[in-house]
Amino acid sequence: MKRVTTSVALISTLLATMLLAACSNNKETAGESSPANTATASSSQSAEPVSNDPLGKYPEPVTVTQVLGFRPPEEADALQGVTPETNGYIKDLKEMLNIELKYKWTVPSDQFDQKFNLAIASGDLPDMMMVDYNTFVKFKEQGILADLSEAYQNYASPTLRKIIESDGGFALKAMTSDNKLLGLASSGEGGVQVLWIRKDWLDNLGLQAPTSIEELEKVADAFVKNDPDKNGKNDTYGLALNKNFAAGWGFDAKGFFQSSGSYPFAWLKGADGKLIPGEIQPETKAALARLQSWYQSGILEKEFALKDEDKESEDLVAGKVGISFGEWWYPNWPLNLNKDKDPKADWIQLELPSLNGNPGKTLISRGIGAIMVVKKDFEHPEAAIKMANFFQELQKPKYVDKNSPDFKGPKTGYNYSWYQPRYYSGFKDIFLAVNEALDANKEKLELPEDFIGSGEAQTWFDAAKKYQANPKDNTAWGMYYSRVAKDGGIAVAEKIKEDKSKFVYNEYYGPPTPTQVEKGASLNKLTNETFTKIIMGSAQISEFDKYVEDWKKLGGDDITREVNEWYDKNAVK
Amino acid sequence: MKIIMARKRSIRLELPLHLMLIPGILVTLVYAYGPMFGIVMAFQKYQPFLGFLKSKWIGLANFEYVFNLPDFNQVLYNTFLISILKIFFALVVPLILALLLNEVAKDWFKRLIQTSIFLPFFLSWAVLGGVMIEIFSLNGPINAMLSGFGLERIMFMGSNQWFVSILVGSDVWKGMGYNMIIFLAAIVGINAHLYEAAEVDGAGKWKQMIHITLPGMAPIIILMCTLSLGGILNAGFDQILILYNPIVYESGDVIDTFVYRLGLFDQQYSPAAAIGLFKSVISVVLVTLSYYLAYRLSNYRIF
Repeated sequence: MKRVTTSVALISTLLATMLLAACSNNKETAGESSPANTATASSSQSAEPVSNDPLGKYPEPVTVTQVLGFRPPEEADALQGVTPETNGYIKDLKEMLNIELKYKWTVPSDQFDQKFNLAIASGDLPDMMMVDYNTFVKFKEQGILADLSEAYQNYASPTLRKIIESDGGFALKAMTSDNKLLGLASSGEGGVQVLWIRKDWLDNLGLQAPTSIEELEKVADAFVKNDPDKNGKNDTYGLALNKNFAAGWGFDAKGFFQSSGSYPFAWLKGADGKLIPGEIQPETKAALARLQSWYQSGILEKEFALKDEDKESEDLVAGKVGISFGEWWYPNWPLNLNKDKDPKADWIQLELPSLNGNPGKTLISRGIGAIMVVKKDFEHPEAAIKMANFFQELQKPKYVDKNSPDFKGPKTGYNYSWYQPRYYSGFKDIFLAVNEALDANKEKLELPEDFIGSGEAQTWFDAAKKYQANPKDNTAWGMYYSRVAKDGGIAVAEKIKEDKSKFVYNEYYGPPTPTQVEKGASLNKLTNETFTKIIMGSAQISEFDKYVEDWKKLGGDDITREVNEWYDKNAVK
Repeated sequence: MKIIMARKRSIRLELPLHLMLIPGILVTLVYAYGPMFGIVMAFQKYQPFLGFLKSKWIGLANFEYVFNLPDFNQVLYNTFLISILKIFFALVVPLILALLLNEVAKDWFKRLIQTSIFLPFFLSWAVLGGVMIEIFSLNGPINAMLSGFGLERIMFMGSNQWFVSILVGSDVWKGMGYNMIIFLAAIVGINAHLYEAAEVDGAGKWKQMIHITLPGMAPIIILMCTLSLGGILNAGFDQILILYNPIVYESGDVIDTFVYRLGLFDQQYSPAAAIGLFKSVISVVLVTLSYYLAYRLSNYRIF
């Protein structure tokens, strides 16, 4: 008997270990989402006339159940002992809307995917949950999702609408199928590529800011040969580059490729309306040929292929290189460190250079954020929309300002990260509001009652004030120049996004296709190896044609077909 | 009767000792034997949310997939080449060092050398990798020396001719202190009377080494060789991951790094498990073989 108990204990320990191992392998997806129970909304209510108040209180309690993966609050001053069940948001939700939010289960975030997938597999689906795009597509195909069109039309508050539709209706369209709105999500856009360049180096050499690839080449060449930092040593090179130059997160050649009309690892619409893979196009070949010549002439560092992004950033900090393609956040890091080291350093950002008179178009990748879906048999789909309104309501300045008597934050038992659904707006309104206050020389940031993102705005405003008070504070400069300055990171990025001739969309935002899963690693290896060799001159540029053939044969053609099938079926056009 | 009493007594005396074994056994079971159930993944189309029980069984399809990957032969070749070179030099270099060090008369000097050789063993590749890239870079000390002699600068880390040598060299350099100490211990264990007798017979240091030290160390050398054969398909994952780059994929991409990229791309648990199982099977075969050979050739048994 005893032996049996022991072995049961042992086996369960083994299983637990395996489960844990499996958990930790799961990539973190949409994070905390929450299915709700088939809510026991009182059916007697359904006949009553509807009031379309976005925050209208139900006469009878409506129960919505969710599930939740949660983390302990990050804020140091968070009220102790608050659990998801006793979260201030839930209390207020009941008071303001008469919605009773119940959790079927709550687990720590890292176990959420495992538990939620089990719930999916056992068909024990809740009424309301946050899911990622892949799960959304699966649910859609199974036909288990409620139509939210009417609820959204009738109940979404102006604030919620503004956030959801800030992308021009892209997310709404992506969520719509057969005229039914099956989920509610906001979309996000990946960073815009710009060109960062050392203004003080340009001035030292009496050069103009480059607007075309040809001019950039001349400037970069001068940065190599003419001692731009005037230290009497030949210790600078032209363009920052690292080994992940085609798909890294910074100090890479993505912006260069895009200036040349080449978009490796992205899918653009071809002349025949079909999506085509960027890495095998002739523009990519031309871009590689130019990089090869830059490598030979010393514009690129000889050993760029040995460095990753972090390593390459050290060269920017050390003042070895003064040109880098990249995104809006550079001033925040690492350019601020470069200014710490060399107070004379002055960085400006430029739009992508043109090539042969064609303006450089940056690539914008769109992604769908966490998607709120409601189960088909839930009787109050509008409750979900109201709950979204409710969250926006609680983000008003009087609730987020720590000095306000109405403050609802971690300190008073309100944990926003446990509440769902939550939607966030982009940076644009914050940018405008902060600049308006700065232009009017205000000492305090005053925001309208229904301002979206007031917490973020306050941080920006404070950094800008700090920078104005002390221009030598490079940390404040980084925050200011990346976010607030009118010629800074976000400003230029937003300006580019407003001009349709300056960007193209990556048309594929679906999940990896089956062949991508199967052959992706091999294809990526082939691509990286070939591109690196061509740039470094250990392969001739003619190798590119063979690479295209191999890429197609080794699965690329299948991927192209699958991507286009997805595009025909699911994409927003 | 007496015997039984004695046995009972000895059980009572030894019981605490046996109980002390339990934590160790449990740890082994949980962390070494438990995860072995994961092997079933290699024969499944494993999907995490279905688990082991519900995932589809697909026979050997994962193995077929892995072996048919376009680069698999190259990667397998690289793995074998790099790890055979590493095993060979990781035995020979420390052995020579141990023999040399054994002849050093000054004790403080011996200790100093021993410690400084052992030191790099404690550094992690994450640290060492950065240092090595600097040392071997175009502007690094090695190339400064080459150009001082009027030779051409070499991009060591971006050259398929040099990359394997650098991998093997640095790995041996990093690990040699460990093996050296084992060999030194083996030398200490040799009966001193043998040396005295040899001296009386007129054997010099060289003859003593050939005829006493080396034969005395043979069991340990064979043991080390056998053990390292088990890891023949581990060519050194962290080292290569830190040092390699797309230019040297051709010579430096090994099974582990390949699987790493495979797994990173889209959580391909099953093919990764298949490769892991393949590696284990090869290891078991090689260990068994070398064990058998060691037994036949020098009548030596580990177990």
